[in-house]
Amino acid sequence: MNPMLKRQLPFLGLAVAMLLFGLLAPHQMVDVGIWALIYGIAAIGLSLLMGLAGQVSLGHAAFIAVGAYTQALLVGNAGWNPLLAAPVAVVASMLVALLVGLPLLRLRGHFLALATLGLGIIVGVFVNEQEFTGGTSGIFGLPNLEFGGRSYDTAQEYFLLLTPVVVIGLWLANNVVHSRTGRALSAVNDSEVAAECLGVDTFALRLRVFVLSAAYAGLSGVFYTHWLTIVNPSVSHFELSVKILLMVVLGGLGTVWGAVIGAIAVQLLDEGLREIIPVLIPSAKGEIQLIGFGVVLVLVIILMPGGLAQLWNKLRSAVQERRHPIIRGEHEHPISQKEQRELLEESLTLLARSDHMPAGQIILKIRGLTKRYGGVTALDHLDLDVKAGEIMALIGPNGAGKTTAFNMITGVLPPTEGSVVLQGIEVAGKQPHVAAAIGATRTFQNLQTFKSTTVIGNVKVARHLRSKAGLLRGMLLLDRAEEKLIDEASQAAIDAMGLTALADKPIADLAFGKQRQVEVARAMALEPSVLLLDEPMAGLSGPERDSLSWLLRRVKDSGVTVLLVEHDVAAVMALADRVAVLDDGKLISLGTPAVVTSDPKVIAAYLGEEDSDTNDSTAGATAAAPTTAIPATGGPA
Amino acid sequence: MTDLLQLVFAGLAQGSVYGLVALGFVAIFAVREIVNLVQGEYAALAGLSAISAVGAGLPLVVAVLVVIPLVMGIAVLLERLTIAPIKKMTPLTSIILTLGVSTAVKAIMLLIWGPEAKGLPTFPGSDMTIGGVSIRSQELWVLGISVIVAYATIWFYEHTIRGKSLRACAEQPVAARLVGISPRTATVVAFAVAGFTGAVAGVVGSPIYLSSWQSGLSLGLKGFVAATLGGLTSLRVAMFGGVLLGVLENLVAGYLSSGYRDAVAFVVLVLVLLFRPHGLARKTSGVRV
Repeated sequence: MNPMLKRQLPFLGLAVAMLLFGLLAPHQMVDVGIWALIYGIAAIGLSLLMGLAGQVSLGHAAFIAVGAYTQALLVGNAGWNPLLAAPVAVVASMLVALLVGLPLLRLRGHFLALATLGLGIIVGVFVNEQEFTGGTSGIFGLPNLEFGGRSYDTAQEYFLLLTPVVVIGLWLANNVVHSRTGRALSAVNDSEVAAECLGVDTFALRLRVFVLSAAYAGLSGVFYTHWLTIVNPSVSHFELSVKILLMVVLGGLGTVWGAVIGAIAVQLLDEGLREIIPVLIPSAKGEIQLIGFGVVLVLVIILMPGGLAQLWNKLRSAVQERRHPIIRGEHEHPISQKEQRELLEESLTLLARSDHMPAGQIILKIRGLTKRYGGVTALDHLDLDVKAGEIMALIGPNGAGKTTAFNMITGVLPPTEGSVVLQGIEVAGKQPHVAAAIGATRTFQNLQTFKSTTVIGNVKVARHLRSKAGLLRGMLLLDRAEEKLIDEASQAAIDAMGLTALADKPIADLAFGKQRQVEVARAMALEPSVLLLDEPMAGLSGPERDSLSWLLRRVKDSGVTVLLVEHDVAAVMALADRVAVLDDGKLISLGTPAVVTSDPKVIAAYLGEEDSDTNDSTAGATAAAPTTAIPATGGPA
Repeated sequence: MTDLLQLVFAGLAQGSVYGLVALGFVAIFAVREIVNLVQGEYAALAGLSAISAVGAGLPLVVAVLVVIPLVMGIAVLLERLTIAPIKKMTPLTSIILTLGVSTAVKAIMLLIWGPEAKGLPTFPGSDMTIGGVSIRSQELWVLGISVIVAYATIWFYEHTIRGKSLRACAEQPVAARLVGISPRTATVVAFAVAGFTGAVAGVVGSPIYLSSWQSGLSLGLKGFVAATLGGLTSLRVAMFGGVLLGVLENLVAGYLSSGYRDAVAFVVLVLVLLFRPHGLARKTSGVRV
């Protein structure tokens, strides 16, 4: 069967199971089911926020409340048709999320969580204080839903009405997870800096997901309103926020299915606690099931951080292993160098762009680029012009400022002063995705791979800028044609690096040198104009180095500018058109490999003749390698 | 003018309670980068326990002196039970975890003390009026004790070996370990300090602002906002931020509407993050490339 159709089967299964439950289960159970579904809708949204955006809302009830109150006001007070009011209620929730997310999602860490906690309090205060929301007694006497000649006023009817809503809501959310947006955000969770350098605008995507999660909450509020037929401030309370959060955590982060499973589990737990606690503790009253929520939340995080989904996956892989035992240690078939070069030629035609700047023009203009940390100057007024279509190497002893320069060129670090003009556009101090959009991407000295996915999964993220399906297209599966192109281009980049056999392996299983090659493949898949490679040869075997050198020359021939930081001086001298030598944050030499290797300042920097801190162990260590390497290539004059 | 002075003075007292809670946030964040959502609960728990102790016939001073170490012990115990077992702590995990603990503690307080807010008897002293501004003796107690506790906390971190080693642990965890400072001890001490400032906030504030099972929620949020002003790492700015927040709240409540009092903290948080995000947010230097 078509794998795409196969992926839709579980949703059909869920729909059938829910229909049967709605039709056959006793009334009391169906009533519990309704609450599980109403809150489950909100939980699906929160699960997207937590799983994709890596952020948590501790006041998700506030968004439910906005939806519920808007619906109640429009239907109850203004006499709107509920079906017309519902979209307005959902949009109202989304607007509130937009207002909160706009300032707060730019920041990493805890701020959104605490701000939403605050939002929950404020919405609660607001609806309590205002007259038009009915104060503490709220808005009551709301109608049951009625449309298409049916009145949804019994538990069974309402459950059957909710069934398609939840199944479709879950399906849409699941599509988002597997869409371009989902892939980019999941990459951000693994390595924000790498995703940004591949052109992922973290803030914009997070904001969209946050607003989408509020839409789910708003819809949950609409159904809340028409089932309870009364809305009062309790819908905004902290307890409900905790409950929704527990649903997501218990169900399992990272899968939207977890939210629905968690919703059912928590609703049952809630009912159970209501029955049990008064028996155990006769004096108990009020929202005492909170103890249970709190304790379960803590236990899940400590004992089963992946939630019920983790349990399910373990079971499934255990069963699968029994049925189809995995043969360990299978052989990879290394392809011959000739085959690889043929593959590369093919891939280059796929990845080749014709809009590169004409060779020889200044593609990257660096002026006065400086980085200071307190009293330490890591890079001191660097001026450098990189010409389109050349390979420029940046060398120098450890601590010379090479990686610092890279970080400022790609936007990973803001410079203390100076400018970086890329293809005529100033990028200094901007986010890395800005430089990526202009065509500069990079690899990293310390690996920054997306650990939760496969080799091809890593490379596909780099196609982010070369594709454009938005959240909506992804949700509705209208991105399939584009996804196919992404697959092909990613496969081409993998083939070009000779990694074909490893494409579907989890990246974490690869050796260090191979992961480094994946990073190069990933950077190439972006089709950059300027490719910045930070020590691409480190950890590679001799033949792998040769083949990377060969590949970089081919890439250069196709019009790409390459800027690389490298310690393997022999390789650099053989490969680079020009070499810039940094020492102690300053540019001390610039020119062709032959000129640079004969520059007395360079020799002094590497041999440490002038500043003789011989007791500095790191300086000694770095000096050792290049001294042998420099004569090996050009030989000092 | 008298109105303004009155509002500002009341705000100073209330704000120093927020400041004390904020100190606890900083004490823990500086060592573990965890925003401890249980922080407000320490105050509520201390207030309610002290009320029960006084109800049981203990003199006020004794009650306070018993309750503070008790809450410190509970703070450390909860850390050992819930935070210590986690191997890989992410911001998301820490938030969910401490929210879970805080929720359970809230519910237990509801179970023990019921839903009504209660107040501790006021500390000895008589109220007075100076230049038309009426000053409650308890407010003076709040101010005085807060100043002492804040100075003591800052002094502990800046002038004692133990305090300095805690800061070293936060700034250079590996190096601190190499010279024999255990991160475990550092965490325990941080939670004890957080329990201490939270408990003091709870007992001194209780006679005026009352204690209830859910008072920790908004107290915690306001403490966090105050701590954010200091980038979650500066004790001085956190304390000052708390006071500022208290004054602002009282001005808004006095001149606009008391209903909007609780909105002030949120607005301040958003404004601060909007205009000075880098000056206030701790620089996330975790990414090394």
